[in-house]
Amino acid sequence: MRFFRQPPPLGGLFVAIFVVALSAQSPKRIISLVPNVTEILFAIGAGPQVVAVSNYDVEPPEVRSLPTVGALVDPDTEKIISLRPDLVITYGSQTDLQAQLKRAAIPFFDYRHGGLDHIMVTMRALGARTGHVEQAEKVARDLEAAINAVRTRVAGKPRPRTLLVFGREPGSLRNIYASAGRGFLHDMLVVAGGEDVLTDVDRESAQVSTEMILARKPDVILELNAATRLNEADLKAVVDPWMTLSAVPAVRNKRVIILNGPGLTVPGPRVVDGIEKMANALHP
Amino acid sequence: MSIRRRIATVVVAFAVFAIAVMIWAPTVGSTPISLARAFDRSIPWDDNVDAQIFFVARLPRVLAGGLVGATLAAAGVVLQALLRNPLATPFTLGVSAGASLGAMLAVSARLELSVLGITSIPLASFAGSLIATAIVYALASSQRRGLSTNVLLLAGVTLNAFFSAVILFVQYLADFAEALRAIRWMMGGLDVASYVPIIAAIPFIVVSFGAFAMMTRTLNLLSVGTEAAASRGVDIVGAQRLAFISASLATGAAVSLGGPIGFIGIIVPHLVRLIVGSDHRIVLPASALFGAAFLVLCDLAARTVMSPLEIPVGVVTALIGGPFFLWLLVKRS
Amino acid sequence: MSALLWADNVSFRYAAGAPLVVDGVTVRLDDGALAGILGPNGSGKTTLLRLLSGTRRPTSGRVLVRDRPLGQLSRREAARQIAVVPQETELAFEYRAIEIVLMGRHPHLGVFTVEGPDDVRIAEDALAATGTSHLADRMFHELSGGEKQRVVIAAALAQSANLLLLDEPTASLDLGYQLEVSSLLRRLNQEHGVTMAISTHDLNLAASICRELILMRDGRVLAAGPTAEVLTPDNVKRLYDVEADVQVNDATGHMTVVPVRRIPS
Repeated sequence: MRFFRQPPPLGGLFVAIFVVALSAQSPKRIISLVPNVTEILFAIGAGPQVVAVSNYDVEPPEVRSLPTVGALVDPDTEKIISLRPDLVITYGSQTDLQAQLKRAAIPFFDYRHGGLDHIMVTMRALGARTGHVEQAEKVARDLEAAINAVRTRVAGKPRPRTLLVFGREPGSLRNIYASAGRGFLHDMLVVAGGEDVLTDVDRESAQVSTEMILARKPDVILELNAATRLNEADLKAVVDPWMTLSAVPAVRNKRVIILNGPGLTVPGPRVVDGIEKMANALHP
Repeated sequence: MSIRRRIATVVVAFAVFAIAVMIWAPTVGSTPISLARAFDRSIPWDDNVDAQIFFVARLPRVLAGGLVGATLAAAGVVLQALLRNPLATPFTLGVSAGASLGAMLAVSARLELSVLGITSIPLASFAGSLIATAIVYALASSQRRGLSTNVLLLAGVTLNAFFSAVILFVQYLADFAEALRAIRWMMGGLDVASYVPIIAAIPFIVVSFGAFAMMTRTLNLLSVGTEAAASRGVDIVGAQRLAFISASLATGAAVSLGGPIGFIGIIVPHLVRLIVGSDHRIVLPASALFGAAFLVLCDLAARTVMSPLEIPVGVVTALIGGPFFLWLLVKRS
Repeated sequence: MSALLWADNVSFRYAAGAPLVVDGVTVRLDDGALAGILGPNGSGKTTLLRLLSGTRRPTSGRVLVRDRPLGQLSRREAARQIAVVPQETELAFEYRAIEIVLMGRHPHLGVFTVEGPDDVRIAEDALAATGTSHLADRMFHELSGGEKQRVVIAAALAQSANLLLLDEPTASLDLGYQLEVSSLLRRLNQEHGVTMAISTHDLNLAASICRELILMRDGRVLAAGPTAEVLTPDNVKRLYDVEADVQVNDATGHMTVVPVRRIPS
């Protein structure tokens, strides 16, 4: 430490102490069990601090070489603790893991999915937690701007009644799961300019019967598909079962649209891709 | 009243009830529809929402419910007679565990094939049920004296336990979405929206019911005692084989169509015996008819009570079945 | 007139290499006979009964029903000739007495045939013959031990068979019911001409109603013939290792056996 002739200004000393204290507090070894939060960590510049991820983490490419410690239902607590983390990102339902981390005096960040806004909230919170406040703020602002851009683009256009399907028995119309009145899928749909036919259902998702779909008469059916690529034959095979419900406006007007690609609906920095795909489908 | 007349009267009464339920059920639901519009041929099919709700959404569901309910109830009756135990169910001997394992493997292997319009889960679960049946049968027939019901029971229970463990293991290895898909299937569902799976299940169920029809008086004799039945001219081994195979085949087909819906195979035979006595010539057809109506009514509740949400029909039958058993226990003591 | 049932030197083992449970036994039952197969537990009585009813095939030897080999008859044909009253009847479900008796008509009915008025009449006659007509509509499991056994005998009678085989018919009954059932059996034999063979370890039951006895021990026939000739203290000793007093009882008019002392073997 340099020796000053005169004492430094008090404010400067204060800031110096603050910065030192902050960087002393910033976690150096982060383990993330939640894939979309991992993406956020890397986006806000905390990537170098991440030492391990969950079994299902694939983005960004840097994580693929990192050790894995289990996932939502089966986190490998021993391995986690052995890696000596100073911050563990957990999902809200992982209460057992959180209890064990408490006992081991390892701090954790409790995350749960929420609405679209929650992504930015999480970015900012993690920014503060990991010592990347400025970068987090920038990423959050950029994301908000991109989302608003889509909002503006579709503003004023008529909003088609839309059913956003994310699960179905392949080859049939059984066990159809759709986004309902809450959560980030619903928010994505609203931003993209669609009106959710299940907006009155106060849940994040719902299983819908064929009768319900016929009754609600969606103008558009957006179906999320995880396949990276779907050629024409595949696409036809996926859409085909819907044809039996020909009285549904979406089917009759050939507006059953498959949105495919992994990570379309990850509530993280890439979420705008998904929103833009939805907007393009709803408002070509 | 002669015996023949009595049998006919009771069965006809149950048939009237079942038919009435099955005619009424598609006309009601969470969405009000106009039957006049639904049956109006002048409206083009693609424009007729009421018709599609009736003929695509509801009718296949009611037919599937009737078929599955009748089959599970009848199979329950047969297995209870075979095992001489009123607590036996169509799932006691491992058939449904085999079906569930088949379904689970189809989900984990991301199998997406379609044979004659039947998708992978029903195909795999039917295959699983046949394999489970074959294993239990082989184990129980390994003694030269033919089928031993004790070994049958042990083999079935063991297979159930083993397959359930394998299912858990496969579920654990699977990812979240796959596990959820399999769990959802295991809760039962009748929203087939197509007549194809129903038609596919019919041949197996018809064959099994044919066997059931031939066995009714034999089942009476078996329930008095196997040695007694033998001395009255019953081919014990043949009858047990036929009962086991036909009941397992029927159960496999029903589970492939609607998933492993529990409690039908035990509540319905019990209730029916309370009403009509234990003569299997009445109990078997009456249980089939009552089972059809019962499941259709449970499914009606499943699709209307929490509308717009769906309750899995297996959950409804379980919610009714549990208290029913408690009541039975209390009544008995 | 050929014997109703003739077991000719039959032997039986349950599995290859297992000891013979029935060893070279010959039994001849003529029409109207009331025979007792007597012996301690494990003497092979029950297995012999199974061979006589056709439930099991003898390992060697043959069983003839009126000169026709039992093995050549279909199960139903055999059931029309021979009826069995088992030792115990445990129902899996609840039936009424008349339903139990009607089950005896099975060998006379086709697969889809339902019992007709003739069948019902036969069943009612059987109940009358066993003095249980008043129990027809009662639930079987609510009956007393003696009533249950009489209903089961009625079911065997309803089979309209020529021969009735009974396996320990009084073993699980109280004394009063024992008398009830044994006198019923005697009455059926004497008044209705029902041919019977009773397998039992109860010496006094055998002595009281059986006109002929077959004594069995370790799978072999020890002695066979009219009761008075066969039931001697000597034979009782050979059968049960028990010294007994065998004499005709003044009150009942038939032989009684009173065990006196056990002889260590």
